[in-house]
Amino acid sequence: MVKRSKKARTMRKVIKSIWIFNWFNSCGFCELVPLVGSRWDMERFGMIIVGTPRHADVLFIAGYQTPKSIKRAKRVYEQMAEPRVVIALGSCTMTGGMYWDSYNTIKRLEDYLPVTIYIPGCPPRPEAVFEACEKIFKHVNELE
Amino acid sequence: MNSNEGREAEILKVVSSKFDAEGKIQRDRRIWVSINEGKLIELCAFLKNQRFEHLSAISVTDWVKEGKFEITYHLWSYKDKILVTLKTKIDRKKPVVESVASIWGESAQIHERELHELFGVKFKDNPDLSSLFLEDWQSPPPFRKDFDWREYVREKYYDKENERELVYYD
Amino acid sequence: MIDQMEPAPKDTEYDLYFGPAHPGSGNFGVKLKIDGEIVTSARADPGYLHRGFEKLMEYRTPLQNAVLSDRICILEPLNWNLVHAEAVDELMDIDVPERAKYIRVIMAELSRIQSHIIWYGVFSKGTGFDTGFKMAFGYRDYILDLFELITGGRVYPAGYICPGGVRRDFPNGAKDKILKVLDKMNEMIKLEELENPALDARAKGVGILKVKDAIRLGATGPVLRGSGMRTDVRKDEPYEIYNRLDFDVPVRKEGDAYARNIIGIEEMYQSIKIVKQALEDLPEGEVIALKFKRPKVKDKIPEGEAYTRNEVARGEAAVYMVSDGGSTPYRCKIRGPDFLHMIPVLEYLLKGAQIADIPAIYWSLNICPADMDR
Repeated sequence: MVKRSKKARTMRKVIKSIWIFNWFNSCGFCELVPLVGSRWDMERFGMIIVGTPRHADVLFIAGYQTPKSIKRAKRVYEQMAEPRVVIALGSCTMTGGMYWDSYNTIKRLEDYLPVTIYIPGCPPRPEAVFEACEKIFKHVNELE
Repeated sequence: MNSNEGREAEILKVVSSKFDAEGKIQRDRRIWVSINEGKLIELCAFLKNQRFEHLSAISVTDWVKEGKFEITYHLWSYKDKILVTLKTKIDRKKPVVESVASIWGESAQIHERELHELFGVKFKDNPDLSSLFLEDWQSPPPFRKDFDWREYVREKYYDKENERELVYYD
Repeated sequence: MIDQMEPAPKDTEYDLYFGPAHPGSGNFGVKLKIDGEIVTSARADPGYLHRGFEKLMEYRTPLQNAVLSDRICILEPLNWNLVHAEAVDELMDIDVPERAKYIRVIMAELSRIQSHIIWYGVFSKGTGFDTGFKMAFGYRDYILDLFELITGGRVYPAGYICPGGVRRDFPNGAKDKILKVLDKMNEMIKLEELENPALDARAKGVGILKVKDAIRLGATGPVLRGSGMRTDVRKDEPYEIYNRLDFDVPVRKEGDAYARNIIGIEEMYQSIKIVKQALEDLPEGEVIALKFKRPKVKDKIPEGEAYTRNEVARGEAAVYMVSDGGSTPYRCKIRGPDFLHMIPVLEYLLKGAQIADIPAIYWSLNICPADMDR
């Protein structure tokens, strides 16, 4: 029997399947909705979309944010229960992307929310989103 | 098509003689008319009676060197299928002009609300000029030509200490 | 205990915020005042996606703006590429070659079919018919694979329709693949047309808009055609090669949510007809004008102004471009159909409706928040 730490045991019990909150922002809408559809079916991995942040594990920030919408995203993040993960999609969250000289967009997401994984692309393909989720599972499996 | 060709010239003749405006026909279905600010409302009411019922857009151009704002109204007629553009110039330091919301209704009122927020032009008699897109914005109206976006973004958002962003400071 | 309770309040009015983090609203908020079950007033709350496109375009040259113009409305990128390219062509007085005009029309109509599929999918999801949602997004992927073959990107084509023509020619075998995909689309529309009693009961007689109100509030496109007025920019003012093609414009008189949805389904049939005709008559030749084949940084736009109108999937779109002789445009105003549909028309239609009818009215207007905020 392998002896694991308390943190590893709790994480393995809790993160078996990921539940995602329904905050489909700007550009990410057109590449996250096919994930729910029948070609790249995400329910076979155990992921579903829930309607309230209190049931969710993962918050997808899928594209550029403005000061008006980052305030709402922060309130949603504060209502989620531990352990929680933030995944940032697209190049607009890393450096400002194509709108780097606009007066009304956020340039670096890590100043406002603690980000776990960045997925590059404009917009990233659905296979890239699955690879990111697989990395979460692998990381939790290898914790000691 | 042939029966419509004379219609642009007819409209231009009536408008220039009655209201003291100068205009030109750019290509088929496009007439551009420049007019003084005082006669604007009369001309708009006249054109609405001539079946120009659809207000396509209202726009403001900022001519900094001359010191004027130029306001353009684009009107489309479903019956004759012609587009007429009215242009007037007002002073940049005190930009006030009459509103056309009494003639074209809610579609004119919402265009004027957006222009008031982004350029700072005041439209008299518009029922509602509250802010539309921005929350808690304190600086000058953002779309004017003397507000440089790249300077503003460099000061507020980018950071010289961060080595990924040194490239924006050359 | 019962004597100490307060008397019931006289009015039953309360505030409800149908906001951006709601699964049925998509990044746009509406503040409602409700009395019991009936909405007494509505006020729209836009601005969650405002980037300031009109001034971003003043810092970039026309070929760079072509890449930026596919993100004005996320759900129909190729149609907005076309409006912007036509405005620059008119200002710089460029002759677009014939083969490029046919390719532009084929790509714009495929993008219109894809946008109407999304409309059907989210309308079914909003009214509770989950099978329609899954089916629509399953069939949409055939068209996205076609876009990847021809332009290089599934969703954003990286400025494929640029001023002067299109960026590259069709690869070998593209014509047969397009015809096979159109057969699949025919199959899907036959499934969509099966009458579903739940959808009919929720959408018939709901959200009625009369013609005079529609023109005063500024509605265009399928919303105006659903109220009885026969108008379409492709027939009133033909651009590109639409005057050589033979197609119909569907119109209905009732003005309710059901009529607007049926127009969406019938327009897909007409778009398939247009693509088949254009593919048969496709001529040989160049695909881009000589001036833009080797563009130089010093190229200037001559002085002047232009206003072009087009018909995108949601209504009438227009671009007003002014230039004073420099290498970037001096002012570029973008007029989108959703700015008028989401603020005046929605506030007018929601007054007096019941809470249970709000999703049917909302999604039948075919909204796109990115187009409204720009």
